[in-house]
Amino acid sequence: MTIEPDKREIDRLDALLDEVAGQKAAPSADLMARVLADAARVQLPVAARPLAQGSSGVFSPLWAALGGWAGAGGLAAVAAAGVWLGIAPPAALESVTYIFFGNSVTLQVFSADDVLGVGI
Amino acid sequence: MDQPSPEPEALDGAILVAFANGDAEAARALAERLLPRTLSQAQRMLGDRAEAEDVAQDAMMRLWRIAGEWRQGEAQVSTWLYRVTANLCTDRLRRRKRSVPLDAVDEPRDGAPSVLAQMHRDARAMALSDALAQLPPRQAEAVALRHLEGLSNPEIAVAMEIGVEAVESLTARGKRGLAAILAGRRSELGIEDDD
Repeated sequence: MTIEPDKREIDRLDALLDEVAGQKAAPSADLMARVLADAARVQLPVAARPLAQGSSGVFSPLWAALGGWAGAGGLAAVAAAGVWLGIAPPAALESVTYIFFGNSVTLQVFSADDVLGVGI
Repeated sequence: MDQPSPEPEALDGAILVAFANGDAEAARALAERLLPRTLSQAQRMLGDRAEAEDVAQDAMMRLWRIAGEWRQGEAQVSTWLYRVTANLCTDRLRRRKRSVPLDAVDEPRDGAPSVLAQMHRDARAMALSDALAQLPPRQAEAVALRHLEGLSNPEIAVAMEIGVEAVESLTARGKRGLAAILAGRRSELGIEDDD
């Protein structure tokens, strides 16, 4: 059987709830430091995360089309590889040119005939 | 011309998104806005400073973790945080399930009235917290949000994901239960009978 509290008990409870509701606690410097350290651990560097909803900008669609940082990283890697191949073609590529073109490859940009009569 | 200030709720959401996007200052801005209130809520429900700090830190950690998935405008950060903090507190209260004898509290050495009064306030806060621990968790959560945090019934309904009528029922039953539990501890709380 449940005993219903009388009005005085409810009034006392209301007074106690009011008293506790008015109590405030200020965070210590130590607690604030712990909370901020947690945030720093969770928060990845900007370069490592996709943009969260709410961000906007002129280049956002283009950036997204490129695949964000991951896509840009891939593009950068491919570009760097192209530059390096231009400077120092690896042995495997040299073999390919030998198979197709032999030891000596001559590329002639202009025709041997002096069709324009400019005396080249 | 001055720009209108954003609503505090909208500002919390915007700062959270900035945090998710790697803004180094956003964490401090959000902690300064939300940590005092979160700690106070935990302190009021638990009546214990050390436990309240643990809960506040845990609640804020959950906020940092959810930041990347936060959808601005779909929910209010403060409501979400009220709910998480209340849940963490009721988890602790459920584990507590004990009643601290008030005479276990040390007497103040200097006997100063202000110190004594503070100890009685602390004892009453702990007694309320212990009584909350004896309620079913949903009742404890609803009573705390309504009567300690001052949320309206519709706000509690959103936070607890239930209807307003269910909130009214939970708070009414919770208050009756609390009154009955505390009636047995009246003398310990320093409350004299009116008779």
